[in-house]
Amino acid sequence: MRVCCGLTRHLELAKRTDLYGSPVVVGRWDDHVIAASEEALPFGVAPGMPLRQAEHLCPQATFLAPDPEAAARLRELISSALYDLAPVVEVKVEGIAWLDVSGVVRPGDSIREARRRLRTAIGREPRLGVGPGPFSARVAATRARPGRVVHVEDARAFLAPLPSRELALDTEQLERLDLLGLRTLGAVAAIGPRELESQLGREGRHAVLLARGAEPDELTPWRPPQFSSAHRQFEPPIEDREALLFVSRALCGDLADELGLRGAGAKRVRVRLVYESGEPEERSSIVRHPLSSAAELFGLIGGWIKEWQPRAPITELWIELPVLEAAGRRQLRLWAGNDGTSEEVAAAVERLQERHGALVVLKPRPAFISSPLPDQRFEWVSS
Amino acid sequence: MQATQLEHAISTIRVRFGSQALTRAGELPPPQPWPSSTPLDRLSGIEGLPRGRLTLLTGSGTSGKLTIALSLLAAATREFAHAVVIDPRGDFDPWSLSPFDPELSALSVVRLDPEPSGEAATALARAGAGFILLMGEIPEPWLGPLEASANRSGTVLVGVVDAPGRALAHASSLSLGFSRIDWVWDRGELVGLRTITRCLKNRVAPPLGESELEIRYSLGPQLPFSKPVIEVPLEKAEMECVSAVV
Repeated sequence: MRVCCGLTRHLELAKRTDLYGSPVVVGRWDDHVIAASEEALPFGVAPGMPLRQAEHLCPQATFLAPDPEAAARLRELISSALYDLAPVVEVKVEGIAWLDVSGVVRPGDSIREARRRLRTAIGREPRLGVGPGPFSARVAATRARPGRVVHVEDARAFLAPLPSRELALDTEQLERLDLLGLRTLGAVAAIGPRELESQLGREGRHAVLLARGAEPDELTPWRPPQFSSAHRQFEPPIEDREALLFVSRALCGDLADELGLRGAGAKRVRVRLVYESGEPEERSSIVRHPLSSAAELFGLIGGWIKEWQPRAPITELWIELPVLEAAGRRQLRLWAGNDGTSEEVAAAVERLQERHGALVVLKPRPAFISSPLPDQRFEWVSS
Repeated sequence: MQATQLEHAISTIRVRFGSQALTRAGELPPPQPWPSSTPLDRLSGIEGLPRGRLTLLTGSGTSGKLTIALSLLAAATREFAHAVVIDPRGDFDPWSLSPFDPELSALSVVRLDPEPSGEAATALARAGAGFILLMGEIPEPWLGPLEASANRSGTVLVGVVDAPGRALAHASSLSLGFSRIDWVWDRGELVGLRTITRCLKNRVAPPLGESELEIRYSLGPQLPFSKPVIEVPLEKAEMECVSAVV
């Protein structure tokens, strides 16, 4: 197993990039500090302390209320951005991103790209660590400079001199370790798991395995949600169909980009128009082959919008893809040369034949090649 | 201050019309070449015809432009899953394509009036057909959608016209002009022609001047090693620029 860990700042802090460079503390007024920026740490502020105490220690800091939904959205965004770089990706709101790069053909490229994407998402260079498991990779990342990687080959030897507070134990358990004289991970690794289990409970056994570099934890792979949607609000409400087509084309493009990242296709498509007068109107369809490109999506949705008769000015347009499937036919591109999927072109040809007749698109087929009459050399068949 | 306002305006446009509505020129990818294995690759300056752009072959009758276009079409049928001929006049003859060894199963011919043929070309380019050969002018209202659709899907568009209209000439990214300089005779029989191909307009690379081609007509049984189009060796003066980038 080979795991890369990218450490960024807590995602509660990352959603406010405008406050980078100044002390920021996130937490509820009557509760504890959830996250503190690096600039706030020298004042003694630490996650977990009461917010009133943090304000006393660092009154010049900007205090923000936590927004778990925004942080979760950012986590999803980062997860989807890293999804195609490794088979297993896990991102935590604490600002930790793990990629299991074992089996990846060129792990160096994946790590470089992960660094670039994390920097784009967070706005700061991440610290990177590569180790045989999530714990050693995370500890290695904390020792790296921003934008650099620390590689760990032998986890036990690397962890041995480090302090035991690297273990995810509560304050009381850490004090207990201190009293037992287990101040380094090497010391923790030297005693038996059962001995420490008798002192700290199940966490004690887990701590010993971590300190020995046994990496008992496994990553929880992130899976893209099997639902996608895009919407646009109109202010002022619009009645112009051309504008609606223009916006729907842009939304189809955005959705297709997202589907492309996931390697998915839409099995079901739903379009919803919200009117100024209230009651929305919707149209949905289940398609035979999953739609994955902007042309395919807009081919369906554009046709609906062209024939739709809106009864009032439109305030919102929603395009929802409630059922996604693996876009299996993408594999056909391997055989189909360098152009689009055959289904898309075939569908375009069918539409042309529906509008203008079957004989507008023809394929030549050799008949009597040696005939002196040009008309007999080829026969034309409907495409 | 102005920079902030500009950034705000850019983000407003992106929020309102989609992330693709406004792109900085520096972020735009350069046109990808499609190596056609014909002498035109060198003239385009990017070692191939530009994908997603319109290439025009122009010149008076019997200057060799259609023969070159057919050799491109045959190469496209071998390489792409779909090669389409938009034939508004209805005079495309697959027999003339035979000497270039095409893969006919990948070839479709669209025969429509000029007005709906623009719509057909746009629909096929949007769907991602690999290569589209336009055997005539496309109505001006369809040129914009056709360019945009080809640009998104990377379709190679090639147009063959005697003298392009202003709109078509403006829409093209690469214009190659053909002019016949001599006939080729063999044992008293006309077997081909010599033509000068000039790069008249190039939006994808600096124009690289001109080339002399010898085009052999398909007469009788074709030998497998006889090439219908041969590039005459270049001389020094031929590398001069003919026109500026438009």
